[in-house]
Amino acid sequence: MLLRASSKAIGEEAELGGTVGMGDGAVPHGAALIAYAEAATRGSDELAQARDALQAAVGDEGLVRAAATVGIFNGLVRVADSIGIPLDEGTRAASGGFRERLGLNAYSGASNTDLESTAEPPKGDRVPDLFSS
Amino acid sequence: MPTFDYALSPVEVPAEISATHRAAWSRIASPGSWWTAPQRVEAARLARIARAGRNLPPWQREAPASDPGLLPDRAVDLICRVAVDVHALNEEWAREASAELGDAAYVELCAVAVCVIAVDAFAEALGVEAEPLPEAQPGEPDHLRPEGMVDAGAFVPMADNAAGPNVGRALSLAPADNAMFFGLVGSMYALSNFAELVWEQGPLSRPQVELVAARVSAVNECFY
Repeated sequence: MLLRASSKAIGEEAELGGTVGMGDGAVPHGAALIAYAEAATRGSDELAQARDALQAAVGDEGLVRAAATVGIFNGLVRVADSIGIPLDEGTRAASGGFRERLGLNAYSGASNTDLESTAEPPKGDRVPDLFSS
Repeated sequence: MPTFDYALSPVEVPAEISATHRAAWSRIASPGSWWTAPQRVEAARLARIARAGRNLPPWQREAPASDPGLLPDRAVDLICRVAVDVHALNEEWAREASAELGDAAYVELCAVAVCVIAVDAFAEALGVEAEPLPEAQPGEPDHLRPEGMVDAGAFVPMADNAAGPNVGRALSLAPADNAMFFGLVGSMYALSNFAELVWEQGPLSRPQVELVAARVSAVNECFY
């Protein structure tokens, strides 16, 4: 949701398939960012190469920013799944189409959310709107 | 004393990040509300070891050896699941563990584990050695349970505050550790600028940051 909304806010259109390994997300340096995020999260042998490639693409500060995002989201996803929080109402209502298309409803954590709820999608594009309906 | 100076980092790490990492280590090394400092540091150690084995297939993973008698078996199991196999942590298992350990104690252990994982994942992503774990400090748990917790559809009660995303209140049964974790969130992702869709400052645009975040989430198969 935040990827799509923040991309739209600067007049671009991110391709959400990049998040599940399809394409580069239509974001500048998307391929390098995706390869790095994936290698770092998996701890794969490609990490050093992906790190070098990203550093060349976005610079030192960009690399640190990406590493910080990798780190904290490896924590955040575990907060969500260990506590079993349901999807926020606004996100749930607005994400049905791409969740289905990207196969996200097959993730085990989907059982923590009532996907049949009929709440209305959020009416605004502000960040708080994305979480409430 | 933890330094987190990241002296061997190939790139300079902002002081704000180092400071919140030091604060997290200091908090982990202190008595919590339901666990002693030695238990919390042991939880951190187990989370680190378990995560290091995440690339092994589940049937080849062994639970890390725990200091006998320091943590209940259920607590060790919880920490390992959070670290490396969080999808094996479904509602039924979580409610059993929460009933056995205490719901706030359950949340406190989750918070310790996720903080270590966030800090370690950052170091690994950057290509630097993980910081040594802190030494446990003396003291006793305060057994303080926050008021105003409600059933908001999660495995455990959360603060009755519908403003903002649910993840912001997920650890609210352990308020001091929730603050520790969101200190990390603030320095490593966003806090004051979370509501701004356009980030003028910084080396990456918000869509670039959110692409990394979304890819990490997808690799972890996180529905939320």
